[in-house]
Amino acid sequence: MILKRYIPIAIVAIFGSLTLSAWFIDNETIETFANDDATQFFDIIAAFAVFLGALNLLKLQFIKFIKKQKGWQYSAISIISFFFAFTIGFFIRGAYFVEDKVFFTEEAALESLITVDISKGQQEPSYKVQENSFKDISDAKNFAIKQNLITPVDWGAHVQKNGSLFQWMFKYIFSPLSATMFALLAFFVASASFRAFRARNFEASLLLLAGIIIMIGRVPAGGLISSWMVMYLIVLVSGLYIHYLKKKNNVTIIFTLAGFILVTIAGMITGWPLDKPSIFYLPLLQEWIYLVPNAAGSTAILMGIGLGIVVTSLRYIFGLEKSYLGE
Amino acid sequence: MMIRKLENLIIKVGDVDRRVIFVLIGLAVLIPLLTPVSLPIRETPTTVKFYEGIEEIPKGSKVLVSFDYGPSTRPEIHPMNVAVLRHMLRNEHKVYISCLWPDGIYMALDALEDISDEFSLKEYEDYVLLGYRPGAEAVIKGLASDLRKVYTVDANGKFIDDIEMMDNVKNLNDFAYIYSGSAGYPGTFEWVKYGGDPTGVRMSSGTTSVQVNEVIPYVRSGQLIGLLAGMPGAAEYEKLVESPGIAIKGMAAQSFAHIVIVVFIIFGNIAFFLKQKKERKYSK
Amino acid sequence: MTLSTMIGAWIAVFLTLSIFSYLYKDNPFYKIAEHVFVGVSAAYVAAISFWTQIYPNLLGRLFPKDGPLSFTGLEFDFNHSFNILYIFPLLLGLMMILSVFQKFNWMARWGIAYTVAIAAGLKAFGYLNSNVLNQVSASVVSLFGENLPFFNISGDSVFNNIVLLLGTISSLMYFYFSKEQRGNFGKLTRVGIYFLMISFGASFGFAVMGRISLLVGRFRELIAYSEPSYNYSTIWLLFLIIAFLFYHSIREKESNT
Repeated sequence: MILKRYIPIAIVAIFGSLTLSAWFIDNETIETFANDDATQFFDIIAAFAVFLGALNLLKLQFIKFIKKQKGWQYSAISIISFFFAFTIGFFIRGAYFVEDKVFFTEEAALESLITVDISKGQQEPSYKVQENSFKDISDAKNFAIKQNLITPVDWGAHVQKNGSLFQWMFKYIFSPLSATMFALLAFFVASASFRAFRARNFEASLLLLAGIIIMIGRVPAGGLISSWMVMYLIVLVSGLYIHYLKKKNNVTIIFTLAGFILVTIAGMITGWPLDKPSIFYLPLLQEWIYLVPNAAGSTAILMGIGLGIVVTSLRYIFGLEKSYLGE
Repeated sequence: MMIRKLENLIIKVGDVDRRVIFVLIGLAVLIPLLTPVSLPIRETPTTVKFYEGIEEIPKGSKVLVSFDYGPSTRPEIHPMNVAVLRHMLRNEHKVYISCLWPDGIYMALDALEDISDEFSLKEYEDYVLLGYRPGAEAVIKGLASDLRKVYTVDANGKFIDDIEMMDNVKNLNDFAYIYSGSAGYPGTFEWVKYGGDPTGVRMSSGTTSVQVNEVIPYVRSGQLIGLLAGMPGAAEYEKLVESPGIAIKGMAAQSFAHIVIVVFIIFGNIAFFLKQKKERKYSK
Repeated sequence: MTLSTMIGAWIAVFLTLSIFSYLYKDNPFYKIAEHVFVGVSAAYVAAISFWTQIYPNLLGRLFPKDGPLSFTGLEFDFNHSFNILYIFPLLLGLMMILSVFQKFNWMARWGIAYTVAIAAGLKAFGYLNSNVLNQVSASVVSLFGENLPFFNISGDSVFNNIVLLLGTISSLMYFYFSKEQRGNFGKLTRVGIYFLMISFGASFGFAVMGRISLLVGRFRELIAYSEPSYNYSTIWLLFLIIAFLFYHSIREKESNT
């Protein structure tokens, strides 16, 4: 009980209040510990947590594979991929530098250094490394190694450098997979907006309208749509709405015609400027929506979340919230 | 009779298989990419403010650029970060690069490679690549207090103390400006809370479109000086720094796809209302 | 072009198209790509976390050059000096890893508790300062300011200030659940909902924008890989995958009938 419950609660209380107090207290020891070492501890433990995650994943996949559960073949693929990447991460760094050039294997790096010299008159070819000539290729290689002409990348730097095997794996396996997983959502967003976005009531219509104006106004194509076109569209939609309300054909026709004529006269007087009146020009309208009513809503959400997190954090520190114990 | 037929047709099309929609969206993006058209780009005020914010940094300052994204959001953030690096190097700033995302380091390497020839970049003279450290906000908190506790070596494994460019850099306060190209957690929010706000160092950010709305209060309050918003934001900024790149080239596809989706929404709604009308009629 | 680039490009295209094949339906290509992703990313993140944090900042501090533990033969020189305190994260970290065994399940709790503690301590202040206090002080603007126009679509104006104030307060009120939202208070929260709806609508618009940008990026890469220098990899692999899926669906239909 002490180990499983009280110590974790004590850890949260002690280190939580220590970190929190460091924001306010002017004490060098506390500040140095809280700002530097405590955060370093956090970073290190976070790194171990990643290993725990990887181990748990392996455990699950192994169980699935051994018990031959449905789709066990795919679990095998996961396990193989894991060990493939793990080997590249921890055992083969595969970046050998010869000046600016980089090679996966030491052998390839060596070969780039050695030139084969087959001059006329000579029976056997000789091998040249820089200015030195060798009869035997292995001597040439030994020379190149002894002269430190090849510098392998440091352990640790191999995951942060171009040219290593790890970077190759990142570029050609990890990148396309993670990027495509995200890009796939574009299709589902499109189909969802076709099927699910309905102007059922006033709130939903507001949402839809704001979304559409942002979508069109933000991209260059929106800038090509004249404010006059938008006004004609508004007249047309209002006409339809009036028809829906009154259900009288002549009222609808008179209203729509009057609207069209008014807009046309206004346009002719002003000379049809693309972006005037500005509230009907989509790029400006979306800017206004984004920076005014939307920002108001977003600010409220941000403050709401802020207050919520402050309270939750304090509840953790005071030991009132223990969900991290799985309770 | 004609109208009745049309209504029925619309309702029928409204029930189309979603794979048809997938194909249409795919084509809407693909066709403009294969046959490039250039569209006029119009800068939004937040982008202009961002540009001016960088212009205001005194020449030759130390600036921190954080690569807080990975390949999944690369099309949005990468063009911004490349343009930001360009802008900063053009103004002769010394660039220090950190990463809160593990993949950030490769993004940074790619971005540097993109502009390497243009500026004949020299590591340790023009820039230092500090590299990635796990720990999110705790890393920023650490940087705000003592950079050398978080980074004792740079991405190449070289001692920070041996790098001349790192002299006089003790913590975030020694930078004139912080920029984070961010795709989520950790990113903009964490930099504002634990970097910019506590130290008072001026900062801004380029974010994915998804985040744009969440960070706008920070822009309004001045906690962020302007903002680059998604790929369109990157395109606007590319135009401002006068180096058109992949973001501008992608704008035609982006525009076209948006129009197609809006048409979908409108058509879906028309079909929905017609269907409702029909059902009401039959139920009477 | 080197062999490694060519192989890499073909693998990248195969994995990309395999994931896109999910749009047709769930199929073996997608499943393979998905499981490769799971396996590779787990090891990828583990390797990066080890080499960028545990190795320099933990081992570097416990086994520095010429440190007291040098006799073990372990020395990791990262310019750190020896710091005994770092036994603590090492222990918590190892306990965390041991918790993978059912019997030691509880051991992870200590490490988790520590991370929760630091996160709570950091967040309690960070959110209060940046999201609440700074936002409140930024919202305090003079409504009628000096020489502000009544309305300006792109810039400050009296009208915009009023909308911002009304919107922020009414939306905040909507989150206040301790009072029943009826009467005048209900009317105010109703207005708040409208503002929130506009916000959600904008979020939706931006979400669409983001997804499309990512798709643009993927397609651009596929187009690049379909060039002759990559031996038309995209075109060949696309053809192959479609042919396989077509064959597969015919077989399925036959076995159903």
